Formats: sequence, structure tokens, C-alpha cells
Amino acid sequence: MLKEVIHGDIGESYVKAVHSSGLKIYILEKPQYNSCYAIFGTKYGSIDTTFSVNGETTSVPEGIAHFLEHKLFESEDGDAFTKYAKTGAYANAFTSFDKTCYLFSCSNLFYENLEILLNFVQSPYFTKETVEKEQGIIGQEIRMYDDSPAWRVMFNMLLSMYKNHPVRIDIAGTTDSIANIDADLLYKCYNTFYNPSNMFLCIAGNVEADKILKMVESGIKESKPLEIERIKPEEPEEVLKSEVSQNLAVAQPMFCFGYKLPYEKMPSVKDRVCIEILLEVIAGDCSPLYKKLMNEGLINDDFSFEHFCGDGYNAVIFEGDSCDPKAVAEEIKAEIERIKNDGINKKLFSAIRSGLYGGAIRSFNSVESCAMQFVDCAMNDISLFDELKYLKSVTMESVLKRLSLLDSEKTVLSVINPLKED
Amino acid sequence: MSNKIIPLNDGVEGLFIQNNRFNTTSISFNFYLPMKKSTVAVNALLPFILTSCGKDYPDFTALNLKLNKLYGARLDASCEKYGDCQLLRMTISVIDDKFSFDSDSLVLEASELLLKLVFSPNVENGEFAVNDVEREKRKAIEHIRGEIAEKRVYAKNRMISEMFVGTPYGIPKCGTVDDVMAVTPRSLYDAWQNMLETAFVRVHVVGAAVPQRLFENIKEKFEGINRHDITDCKVCKPAQKSDKVNTVFEKMDVKQGKIVMGFSSDMYGDDDLSLPLLVMCDIFGGGPYSRLFTNVREKMSLCYYCAATSVRYKGLLMVDSGVETENAKKAIDEILNQLEIMKKGEFLDSEFESSIKSICHSMKTYYDSQNSLDLWYALKINNRNLYSPEDIIEMIKAITKEDVIYAAKGVNLHTVYKLLPKEGVIC
Repeated sequence: MLKEVIHGDIGESYVKAVHSSGLKIYILEKPQYNSCYAIFGTKYGSIDTTFSVNGETTSVPEGIAHFLEHKLFESEDGDAFTKYAKTGAYANAFTSFDKTCYLFSCSNLFYENLEILLNFVQSPYFTKETVEKEQGIIGQEIRMYDDSPAWRVMFNMLLSMYKNHPVRIDIAGTTDSIANIDADLLYKCYNTFYNPSNMFLCIAGNVEADKILKMVESGIKESKPLEIERIKPEEPEEVLKSEVSQNLAVAQPMFCFGYKLPYEKMPSVKDRVCIEILLEVIAGDCSPLYKKLMNEGLINDDFSFEHFCGDGYNAVIFEGDSCDPKAVAEEIKAEIERIKNDGINKKLFSAIRSGLYGGAIRSFNSVESCAMQFVDCAMNDISLFDELKYLKSVTMESVLKRLSLLDSEKTVLSVINPLKED
Repeated sequence: MSNKIIPLNDGVEGLFIQNNRFNTTSISFNFYLPMKKSTVAVNALLPFILTSCGKDYPDFTALNLKLNKLYGARLDASCEKYGDCQLLRMTISVIDDKFSFDSDSLVLEASELLLKLVFSPNVENGEFAVNDVEREKRKAIEHIRGEIAEKRVYAKNRMISEMFVGTPYGIPKCGTVDDVMAVTPRSLYDAWQNMLETAFVRVHVVGAAVPQRLFENIKEKFEGINRHDITDCKVCKPAQKSDKVNTVFEKMDVKQGKIVMGFSSDMYGDDDLSLPLLVMCDIFGGGPYSRLFTNVREKMSLCYYCAATSVRYKGLLMVDSGVETENAKKAIDEILNQLEIMKKGEFLDSEFESSIKSICHSMKTYYDSQNSLDLWYALKINNRNLYSPEDIIEMIKAITKEDVIYAAKGVNLHTVYKLLPKEGVIC
């Protein structure tokens, strides 16, 4: 197994290893902690709806990655939750647009728990009966999200922003789409995306790296690495629709205002750091815009923003509650234009950079956060300390350069309005 | 690790929770006041207005800029229920000095900043600044009204207000919209004075060391304040057993219904008195090994979530689930059936053991989160023993199956709250 130790300059270091199967392994030892956090994941999410292996192309129902995640907990010799229950570990899993992760947190019997994790994720067991049972449970999960304004406002925005890219579909699919899922399709997806060469194991906490690597050496089933081609439809640069709204049980309008950014390749760490700073400059809590919006009663503490990117999609999103979402969107557009003309205040830039640097250091406090950062490292082939490194060296010029990515012609305003009175 | 209370004034305590594993130090002010309908809203505004600006930072932008310069120091405010008290919390957390580029005294500066915000707000002539008050009132009103967007939280809070109607615990923790509207710059100033004079106060430091002179400075601050009628946090009336189940329903334009069931428990109070209830609740509806998860969700496939939680000092146990209207009765019947199984002791040894292990794991993880550790002790006011999570682990390990059955037998259904889709039929 190839192994290297990577040192950061904040007193932390971690081990990165690559198993002969291609599985990437990341371990951060934190001996002073009580607990450990482990994630076994695959680069497979809701957007992987069409793929090709050895020239054979397959299209699968929406929501199948999430469905598979639910079903993988059941193996032929019982379900993983029952096994974890014997050790006292907390276990869970999640599916996002581009990944599926299985995780546990424990403060005892780490190696037993790791064995459970490695075993169940590598032991698929799907039957007609178990698939049908899950359709009922996931059906209820979908219904729950249908009632969630925060979920709907985001997906309505993505539906309007992307014409073809599957980031526009709900992660869990629909009750209709999951009705088309069967055991054979699940096996097909499993055998494609759960190949170790497409997977990662990320661990942080009170553990010993050498012991883990020894376990993993023999604990990963041999399989030939696969070349997976992820087929994405052509996506225009323009948005599909610039406004969308829905009425739900909310007290005041909820909004998501997004800029569709051009996508050439996955943004680098440097790109992401620059955009993170840029968003703080535009609308962070010490920006002139934030002050204006707050003082005019247009936003509250729920206002936030993010850079949202992955394979084939790239956007920045501002979201919150507002009595007048259109006014907020207009103010954001105007502020971006103002900064394009006036540049960035030096003091503001320096304070934001310090703030983000402190935040990055703070994130090392949590074993969960470290393990999640490793997932980002594995997905994008970067180092755990890259963000800190760039935050130290980033210049105002490189941040300003990214401003041109925000085109006011390529925006979507999604609003959830209160229901009209009967 | 033993943590000692440091008396600072009448009803004012300092507590240093030493923990060397974090990159940050956190300092929190915890003010405990009686939960009263007449004061709940004005009190609830205090932590938010005090952490949004101050005498030296009359503008929230200036304050936020300062926090960024302190390497992203985090200033948080919250208002919680603690028994029949209202807990107002203000916390600052900052990275340790060794991480700063220029070796500033970050921790000292952050602790001094928090002190200034608590003791020197932006007030003049016995009033808070009108703009600040109006801004915080608007945010509070939007927050209260906005609760409806999160159906699960909304349904749980509605059940609590029904079950504890007419008692302090039934009062919404931030008050009602009307209560907030009635707040004036003067009444808010009076509430701030009242908080400093009458609240029970606990100041926590979680980190490697106490910032220089922090506790001495706080002591000096309180020496200039006329402390009187200090809040008695021990006043806490447990949930009362009801002869008749109170069923409440509400219709809303939603696709999925919610049910929340509130149970009273004969077992209540501080840790050592009510730990069997914690274990009972966990076996009943805690983790994926619990009776509710394995039966209502997995076997019957009725819902995505069906979980039990307890508020032990109030002797309250709650079960909540998101279900289709036509399945609501089936789900409620099964939840009650599982409770009977708990009462008869027909749960498995393996479920009991899983629960003990899972709770012990949760206790150990408190030490790995600065915020959790801080909050742990903020909710340990009445307990003079100041039990640590490690102490609780020892007590949990001593609990028997019989203790759990005894706790289950004292659990009785009090209120059922249903949030139903408009087109649904009431079951």
C-alpha cells in the first residue's frame, strides 16, 4: 500500500494511503480525543443517472443512489444497525448530488466498528421484498421533503437554473421514479460505483493509522478497477427560467437567489477560496450590503450564501427569508456591479481573510468535520491543508478576478410564498 | 477532571471546564430568570441585542468587523428553556493565541469584548437605541412566525404548549408576536437591569486556561450591581398525570401529517433521580435498535421517522412521527403497544444493552465538543454535585432492567397533537 504522511503548520498531520484496489484512505490521529469518526464513501450521487462502462451505457431511475444507500444497510446476515447496536456506535449514511457516505462515530471498539463498516458496504443484498418495503419508507421521506419550504426553494431554483444537468432532480427522486427501482438495477449500480477504485475511507479521532491500514489491507475485496464514464447532457450557459415561485405553509417569503457560473472543470481550492472571500465581501456580515439589507428590514439572521459546485455544475446561492425577495435580489445585483467598479475595501478584505482563516483552524476541533474535509480531499484530490495555505497567500486581485464569473443575466430567483388565505 | 464552582457574588458563579484538546477557548454567560408570560419576550431579546452591538460598537457592522479581526471569533446568543426558567446565553469562542499570525492576545481580547457587550450596551438615558430595538424585535417576530416552516419543530412545540397550558413550561421560550410587539426601548433597558440584578448567573470557560483576570473582572462588575431576589432555579413543577387524554388537531396545507404524543412520567428531576427514564426512552424510541424504529418504521413501513425524546427535569417524554393521515391511528396504536411492552419488561436484553452502550458513547463525545461541554454544565444548575458526563456513565452502568421497567410503568399518555393535511380525514 502506498502511504505518505502530510504535515500542516498548525500542529496537525495526517496519513494518506492508496490500497492496491485503488481505494483512497485518509487518517488523522487525534489521541487526546475520546471519539473517532469514520466515513466509507463512494463517488456516486444523485447526478449519476447515466453512465457507461466498457462501452455499455445505462440510464437509471432518479433517486436510485439514495435508494441504494438505504438498502445497503441490510446484508444477508442481518442489518448493519443491529451490529452497531452491539458496540454502541452511532451510525448513519447520506447521499448528496455527487457522493454516498456511510459513517459511524464511536468512543469504544473502533476496530470492531470499522470491520462492520467495511463488511456491510461491501456486501450488497437486495431482494424483491426488501426493495418493496423500502419504497414505503422512502416514499414518506419524499413526502416530508415536499412539505419542507427550505428544501423546495432550493430545488425549485436548481430546476430553473439547469435545463438538462441532473443536479436539477431531487436527491431522493420521486414516488414515481423509485417505483421503477428493482433489485437488478440496484446490483448494476452497486457493481459499477462501489468499486474500491471509486471509493474512499476517511477517519479522524482516537485511532492508530498503522493498525487501520493493516485491517484495510486485508479487508477490501479484490476487484478490477473500472473506468466509469459519467455521461452528462449538454448544459447551456444560460438559465432555463429566471424566476420561479411556489406557495407553501410559511409565514413570510423564503428565497434562493442563484448565479449560474460557467463550468469548464471542477473549481480548484484556489478558486473556491477566492469565491468564498468574494461572497463575504459581497454579502458577509461586515459588508455594506448586509448592513443595508438588515437595516431596511429585508433580511434576518437566517440570511446565508454558499458556493455550490460539483461535476458539471457551478453556482453561488444567496438564501433567506424576506418580506421582499425581489428587492434583495436587486440589491445583490447592484452591489456586485458596484464592487466591479469600485473594487474591494482593503480593511474589509484583510478582516474577512483573518476570519476565514480562524474558521478553518476551528474546524479541526471536530473529528466529524475533519473526516468530512477528508471526503472533499478524496473527491477532488486535494490536501487537507490546502485551504489554510491559500487563505494565507490569497491576494485581493485574485479575488477580484472571480467577480466576472457573476453575470446578472444568468440568475434565478426562487421564492416560496405564504399560502393565500381561504 | 474535576471542575470547581468559583463564587463571584450572590448567585453569580464562575466555572472553568478545563479541556486541552481544542484549538479554541470559549466563554459563556448564562443568565437564568423565571419563565413568566409578562417578561418572556423582553428577556428573550436581551442576548440578541447585547451581542449585536454595544457602547464601543454602536453598529453591528463594526462589531462583526472586530470579530473577523479576532480571527473569526464567534459570538452566539440563544434563549432556552431550563425547567421553569428561561436561560439566556451569550457565548464567545476564539482560536488560541498561538494560531494568530501576529501573536495577538486573542483570548484575552475576546473575553474582554464579551464583558463589554454584557455590561456596557448601547444605552442612553435609561433606554436602548430605538433602531437596535426595532431591528431585534423584527427579527424575533419573524423568527416566531417562521417556526411554522419547520413542521416537525412546530408540531413538537405545539404539543408542549397544549400539554403544559397555563404553566411556565407551556410558555413559548421567546414569547408570542404580541409580547414582542409590546417591548419598548425603556422596557428592554429595565429587563437588562433586572437580569443583572436578579438572574442566577453562571460564567463558563471551556479551554486550556482561564483568560487573565476574567473571573476577578466579573466579580468587580457585579460589585457595582444591587443583587436581590435571585432566581431560584429549583422551582420546577413536573408534568402532571392526566386522567383523560387530551387530543388536539390542527389542519394545514401539508402533504404529510405529523403526530406528537406527550407523556407524563412519575420519574423526573436531576440526573441521579431520573436516569432510568433516559434509558427507558432510548430503548423505546432512541437509536435504530429502539422499539419504535424497528417496529413502526422498519417492520410496518409506516414512516421515515418515529422517535422518543425525554426532558427529564420536567418528567416529560415525547414521541413524534411523520405519517400519512390514513396511517395515523395505526401508528399511534403501535406506539402505545410498544409502550406496553416496555411496561411489561418484554423488551430484549440486547436492546437494553445497546441502549446503555449508546448512551455511554454519547456521554463520552461531550468531551470532544466545546459547545456541548459548555451546554452540559449550563443545564446542571440545580445539581450541587455538578455531575460530569463521566459520572453519568458510571450511574448509567449501574441501571438495571428492573429500573427501566419501573420508569416505564410511570409513563402515561397525556396529550396527542396531530397536524393534518387539509384534505385528510381525522383518524
